[in-house]
This record gives sequence, structure tokens and C-alpha cells, in this order.
Amino acid sequence: MLRTPITLITGPLGCGKTTLLRHILRTRPAKIAIVMNEFGEIAIDAKVIEGKNVRIAELGGGCVCCSLLGEFEAAVNEIIEKVAPDMIIVETTGLAEPEALVFNIQEALPQCRLDGVVSVIDADMLIRFPELGHTTRLQIEGADILLLNKIDLVEQSQIEPLETKLRKINPTAAIVRTERCQIDPELLFGIGREKEVARPQHRHQLDFESFTFSCDKTFPRDCFERFADSLPASVVRAKGFVRFPDGTQLFNFVAGRWELEPFQTDRTELVFIGKSIAAEKEAILHALNECVADK
Amino acid sequence: MAIIDQLQKISDTVWELPAAYKDGMRVPARIIATEKLVREMDEAVYQQIGNVATLPGITRYALCMPDGHSGYGFPIGGVAAMDVHEGGVISPGGIGFDINCGMRLLTTNLTLDDVKPHLKEIVDLLFQRVPAGVGSHGFLKLSHSDFRELVEQGARWCVERDFGWKEDLELTEEDGCIAGADASKISERAVERGYNQVGTLGSGNHYLEVQVARPEDVRDKELAAKFGITIPNQIVVMFHCGSRGFGHQVATDYLQTFLKVMVPKYGIKILDRELACAPLDSPEGRDYFAAMKCGLNMSFANRQVILHRIREVFSQVFGRSAEDLEMRMVYDVAHNTAKVEKHKIDNEERALLVHRKGATRAFGPRHEEVAARYRDIGQPVIIGGSMETGSYLLVGTASGADTFFSTAHGSGRTMSRTKARKQWHGKQLQHDLEARGIYVRSTSWAGLAEEAGPAYKDIDEVIATTELAGISKPVARFTPIGNVKG
Repeated sequence: MLRTPITLITGPLGCGKTTLLRHILRTRPAKIAIVMNEFGEIAIDAKVIEGKNVRIAELGGGCVCCSLLGEFEAAVNEIIEKVAPDMIIVETTGLAEPEALVFNIQEALPQCRLDGVVSVIDADMLIRFPELGHTTRLQIEGADILLLNKIDLVEQSQIEPLETKLRKINPTAAIVRTERCQIDPELLFGIGREKEVARPQHRHQLDFESFTFSCDKTFPRDCFERFADSLPASVVRAKGFVRFPDGTQLFNFVAGRWELEPFQTDRTELVFIGKSIAAEKEAILHALNECVADK
Repeated sequence: MAIIDQLQKISDTVWELPAAYKDGMRVPARIIATEKLVREMDEAVYQQIGNVATLPGITRYALCMPDGHSGYGFPIGGVAAMDVHEGGVISPGGIGFDINCGMRLLTTNLTLDDVKPHLKEIVDLLFQRVPAGVGSHGFLKLSHSDFRELVEQGARWCVERDFGWKEDLELTEEDGCIAGADASKISERAVERGYNQVGTLGSGNHYLEVQVARPEDVRDKELAAKFGITIPNQIVVMFHCGSRGFGHQVATDYLQTFLKVMVPKYGIKILDRELACAPLDSPEGRDYFAAMKCGLNMSFANRQVILHRIREVFSQVFGRSAEDLEMRMVYDVAHNTAKVEKHKIDNEERALLVHRKGATRAFGPRHEEVAARYRDIGQPVIIGGSMETGSYLLVGTASGADTFFSTAHGSGRTMSRTKARKQWHGKQLQHDLEARGIYVRSTSWAGLAEEAGPAYKDIDEVIATTELAGISKPVARFTPIGNVKG
């Protein structure tokens, strides 16, 4: 049984978290359960089911929106049991420090895996308030993917220095510039619970590119692990399946952090997504071929 | 130059960041701490207290108490007094989201020997009757309109319904009911998050402790006796909680309001967005003040109902009434609050809105706002330490004017919650504590690990600093024997 991926969305008040959720629901075909403190503007007029630890509102297309009544862990278990979503997205309040929640997911929810932490940061706010708040800083520090949002509200020339500022606080996260949180969901998510590996699509983020690798041979595990550790910083997401001598594993990579878990399939199939990675494509494919050639 | 080198030593316990340190500072910022404590603080605390000094109407100093650490906007441990008549602002980041997070202490006439054989039973029952954890519900079944009444009336609402004794009210700040709370200023969402949480501890660092006052830990026998600590190894009960999801929602609602009006309507320039504020004397400022007071009252009511449950548990275990067990309140004090108080500035009395975020009011003897029973000796101050190191009862002093009669509120974290969770394991910690005679019940092992003793500053040093600085005086130290952790 595969673990259910959880994506955490964080960011200060008014940065665009709800806008991002609406965008995800519009563009992502998977069965998503959104967990938020309050339904807010997402689940207006929806049919609401009262559970023990959660209140669940149907959003159509199998997606639901859940607000907590009890402990977070108990609520997540109840959601998995009742709705069996492909993925869970947790929207934190603008005042929340994400690290405790990350720890909860990793330590207290063995049936889930942390797919990634997405922080939405308002570019205009960064310009208008010279000092970064304590909580905002923690939200930036804890991110795998940083959405530098509302770039349409600032001068083009200001964006680069803002990225530098974010990079100083979080050197490893992928920074994606967005307007109204318009981001390719492929960048945000790894692989859903029962989903086949996503094919690269043509609607990728402006300067983001992707390529694939597939092969029938078996990978020595240590060689693949070395490969994963040395993926260049320009690769934001990599995902797919890898065939090892002891079985195939699902591979999920986000901004330098990666995981493997068992999965039923025969072929190795991988997708790499990143910023201007055409230049790295040769080297990445070469390294993979080297691994299988080693045998 | 590193910011720590910009701090000027004023005395052994006072460090000043001059107003020239950064643009916009209206007054200097002062940290009350020994050199050791000031050096242990994260650098963000100095920056944050400097930012607080830029807020309109701030009077004399932006202050940070010895247990200070960085928080949302203000440091936790921050104190700032805004002149109401000089455009002084109110800022949710200066109060905290857990509005009126505070401490309540009650005594019993039981001793350690009386309680020891029943300790597990007591703690297990307390764990059952006083729900803990993130979304926990209370036993009180209130409608939304009951809850709106409750937040306007505070602890008085509870005592009128027999959840407590009349004298409990006299021993709570402002008689447990803050005037001016207006439920028409709170959102439905805030009500929704709070109406079923009265009588619950919540999560995080909130707790309920059975403690013992060992004779060697009673520092001032005479004062201790006036507060009801008279028997060797006397058992007391201390608890720490606040306004739960309700206060959090009130803070969130008004932060959003303030972010909208702060610059365009009031032209307030701040350095850090988390310091969002509005003039107290403005429609938005007044609305938040009235809503925040509902948070204060919700919290007084919450602690009142918890007190009632504690009395029930002890009564049940010992087969005697709470009156017979002399389960009297010592005091209830808020440490996340803002209040309009009169303070003398350059011999002139001024009305100041004093923000205390992770700081305790500590009025000295003969202050008119101290409960009649304690007016001659000063206001009791309750400071909780980590569950391993013990807690304190102190008293306010006449020499505390420089901090607007404010003192520390706890021992203050030395590391993030996550770091603590990585370092300790809750289950192991429970085991270790039990071996040392402290029985702990918790809803979350990970949460318990956050509260490991070394994750906090040395409480004794924090207390000694407040005494040295003349802002509060220790009366007795209590050692935990049983703990219900939120």
C-alpha cells in the first residue's frame, strides 16, 4: 500500500494561498483532499459531512475540502479512511510556523509521506516592508518550492534582488515566479497514490523544461542513490519509477530532497523538470546510462 | 558591527539599543537581562525590539523581558506602552494570537504525603476532565449566542452558573471580566472556533500541573503565608492556557483588517509587516480592542471552568469537598494582553496602552488595581518553568516603573520546537520523568518532547534576573509531581 502524499502550503497572510488552492483545483485532475483550518472561500455552498475529527465538504470531481475538528493526525487518518484521496494538501494559516507540522507528518503519520512544502511569498510585500518577519522567515526557510508571487505588482528590475534575498534564507528551494499563483501543478506535486507517472506536458512554467528517461534494465541501488544526490540544483522536480534488483521503487525528488518507496511496475521511467535544464539533459541521461552499463 | 556590540550596558540587568540604531526608532529599546541571558538571545530579538520602537505613540522604551525570544512581530517577552492621546497604536503582534494566555494558581491543604498515593489517579482524572490537544472540546455545551454572552462576561458568566466560587473573581485580574468587550466585533468564524473549547487546555506549551512547595523553596515565609502557602510540602495546582482557536481567529481577522488600512488610511510606516497595527483611537483600533477584550474574557472563563474541574477531581479522589480541601485560588494573571493603564512619565500621569506579549503585569504594593486582598503586599505573579525545572510565585514591586510594572512570564525557549523534537523522544522523556517522581500524561509524544527541560532557559536565572532588576520578587518555587500536557 503506497503512502498518501501530503503537500504543505504555507506563507504569510494575504500572500495568495487560497488563490493557489483554487488554481490547483482547476488544473489538477487528481482526487485531492484539502485540509484547512476553516473552509474559507474554497467550499462555499458545498455539502458538508460532519466527521469525528474533520468536517468534510465536497468540491466535485472527487475532491474534498476538510476543516479540522480534532487532532491533525487523527483528522488525516479519518480523511484517508473516508475519502481515500490521491493526495492531501494542507493549507496552514498565515501565522503558522510550518516546521512543527512537517515534523508531525514525518513522525506521526507513517501512512503518509511529505511530498513537499510550498511557500507562497508576496513579492510586493517584500518590497514594501524592508524587514522580514520572524514567521515569514520560518516559512521561507522551511520551503522546498518558493512561489515568488504577485510579480506583476513590482518592477521587473526588482525581481532578481528579491530572488537573491530568498536564496540567502533558503539556498536549496526552487524559486518560481508567479502572477496570481499561476504555476504548473506538475512542479508542485510528485506522484499521486495511484497515478501513473505524469507525462511531460506542453504547458510548463515559462522557463521550465522537462525530459524523460525510460529503460528496461535493472539499476544498482547505490549507483542510483549517488545519481539522485548529485542532481544539479536546476532540477526542481524529478519523479517516476526505478527498477532495482529487489523490485521497483517509486522515486520522488523535490529541490534536492528525495525518497524511494516500493511500487508495482516493471520499467524504469523518469521525468525531470527544471529551470533551463536542456543544458543538463545530456549529463543526466549519461549518468543514468552509466549506472545500468556498470552491471 | 554586529548588533550585539551596539547594545549599551546601562546596568547589570539593562541593555539598551539606542534610538539611532535604525531609521524610524522613536525611542531606545531595552532588554532586561543578565549578560549571559542577553548573549543567549537570538539576534532576531534585538532587531524585533528595535522595530517595536518605531511604532507610533511608543513611550520611553520598547522593552524585552529576560525570557525573551523571537515571535510574530514582537518578540515573546515584549512590552510596549503607547500613549493613547499621542496616536498610540494597538498591534495584534504585540499581544500574541493566544490572547490572554495566562497562569492560574490554587492552593490546597494537602501535603505531598497525602497526594502521593493518589497521584496517578488524580493526573489520569485531570487528563480526562480537562481536555488537551489541538482541537479538543470542552464539556460545556454552548450555543453560539451563549458563547457571545460568555465572551462579554468572562469568568463572571461561569461563576454565575456555579463553575466556581465568588472569591475566585476577586482573585482574577479585573475580577475576571474586562469591561468593554463587545461581541458584535468578533467574526462568526471566531465564534465557530471557540464555542466548544471553553474548559480545554489546548496544545503546545499549555499544561496543568500538580506541584509541591518544599520548605526549602519558600523564599519569603511571610509573603508566602499571605498567599496561602503555609504547610511544609503543601500541594498546589498551577495551569497555563489561553483563548484557544478563538483568540487566534480574532488576531487573524484584525491583522487582515490592519494590513488593509495601516498605510493608505493612517500612513503608518513599519519595517516588518508582522507589526501590522492601527491607532487605538480609530474605528479599526477600537474594534480590535473590543474584540481582543472578548479574547481576554474567553480565556478567563476557560481557566475558571478548568479550575472548577480541578476542584471536582480532587473532591472525588479524596471524598471531601473542595471547600474542605481549601482549594483556594491564589491568583490568575494574563501574560498576552494589552490594557490601558495610568503610568507616571516624567511626573505626569499618562494613559498608556501597555502591550504585554509573554510578559506579566507586576504591580507593586498599594497599586489601586491590585486585588483588595493583596493591595498591601503587591500583585502575585505566576511564572511557569519547564515541566522538569519547576515554577515560581512572585510578587510585584514598587521599583518596577521602568518596565511599566512588567516582568517575565516563563523561562523562554532556547531552541525551536522542531529542534527539541529531534533531540528528545516523548515516550522516553515520560519514562525518565516518572523515574524522577513526575507523572506525565500527554496527547502527543512529539509535543511532549518539545517541552524537555533543556529546551528552555534556566528558570532560576530568569527569576534571579527579575529580582536583580527590581521588577518582581520571588516568594516560592514549586516542583512538579504530576503534569497534564496540552
